[in-house]
Amino acid sequence: MKSSSLYLIGIVFVIVVFGVMMLKGESYQNNSNPTGEYREVILGIKDFNYYPNAINADVGETVRIKLDSSVTGCFRSLTIRDFKINKYLKTSKDYVEFTPSKAGTYGFSCSMGMGTGVIIVK
Amino acid sequence: MSFKEFREKDLGRITKTVLISLITSFVVFGIVYFFKLRYIDGLLPKFGFYIFFAILSYALIMPTLKKVRGYESLPCMSGMMIGMTVGMMAGFLPGFFVGATNGMFWGSIWGMLVGMTFGILSGKCCGIMGVMEGMMAGFMGGLMGAMTALMMFNDNLRASGVVIFIIGAIIMTGLNFLIYKETKSFERKTEIEELFTIVVSFILTTLTIWLSVFGPRSALLA
Repeated sequence: MKSSSLYLIGIVFVIVVFGVMMLKGESYQNNSNPTGEYREVILGIKDFNYYPNAINADVGETVRIKLDSSVTGCFRSLTIRDFKINKYLKTSKDYVEFTPSKAGTYGFSCSMGMGTGVIIVK
Repeated sequence: MSFKEFREKDLGRITKTVLISLITSFVVFGIVYFFKLRYIDGLLPKFGFYIFFAILSYALIMPTLKKVRGYESLPCMSGMMIGMTVGMMAGFLPGFFVGATNGMFWGSIWGMLVGMTFGILSGKCCGIMGVMEGMMAGFMGGLMGAMTALMMFNDNLRASGVVIFIIGAIIMTGLNFLIYKETKSFERKTEIEELFTIVVSFILTTLTIWLSVFGPRSALLA
């Protein structure tokens, strides 16, 4: 067998071994809302960013986010990557809802990352 | 001269360098993971994919850099093509994968740094024209890589990372064929040892792991 073939086999072996180890699925932290209760947060715009841009929540508490009429353009496309949320909120009545299962700080933004904020879960 | 001849004569050297770079990088990752990273909750699901592909990207670029560093006076057109392709790929790929974990600012800084350095080092084989071309391509590739990652953030970011890497691999294979054709009639001034591959892979992997896991990141990825 030629040396290049041996090296190729080596490359494939190394990639497969470490690929299996490193490429694990993304964690998913959005739970369902069994009680029907939720904390409502309405975001507006101030200084070219979401206002408020820091939202507090408790672990296990359902949070519902709406955008008021001052929010326009790409800012209406709200994204919370950690909870797999990406939704265009066309009107002030549309909302996104999630229930964090772990404490931590989670970023949210518009679809282009122009407006940003954080959700602090305790 | 055909691709078959290139495959028979030069592929062994390329695959050897790729394998050494991969082993070095994965050993570094394994050591850091064992002593530090395994205590960080949810590290692999969050960063594993991007660090893995950043390591593959470095291994992809190493054979070209190692080969052209041995030459000092290639034709200007070849040197410019080499400098530009290496600069662009070495800027775009790390910029993309670091941009996906740290945001556009740090992704573009890292991409530009790696791209411009690799572009200059590889473009040097033909003089100042190659150096300038490599530097400019590294600058552009670094910015573009991080920007693409940010724009894909709410789309299929991981899938696009795989696609971009495969395209990068095809381009680098083409470049290696070009280098083989162009350097056939030139004599190598210096023989670059595999130690060069090990040292560069070690530095790049260490810095990428640090930047992705502990480094500063934009508010979007807080």
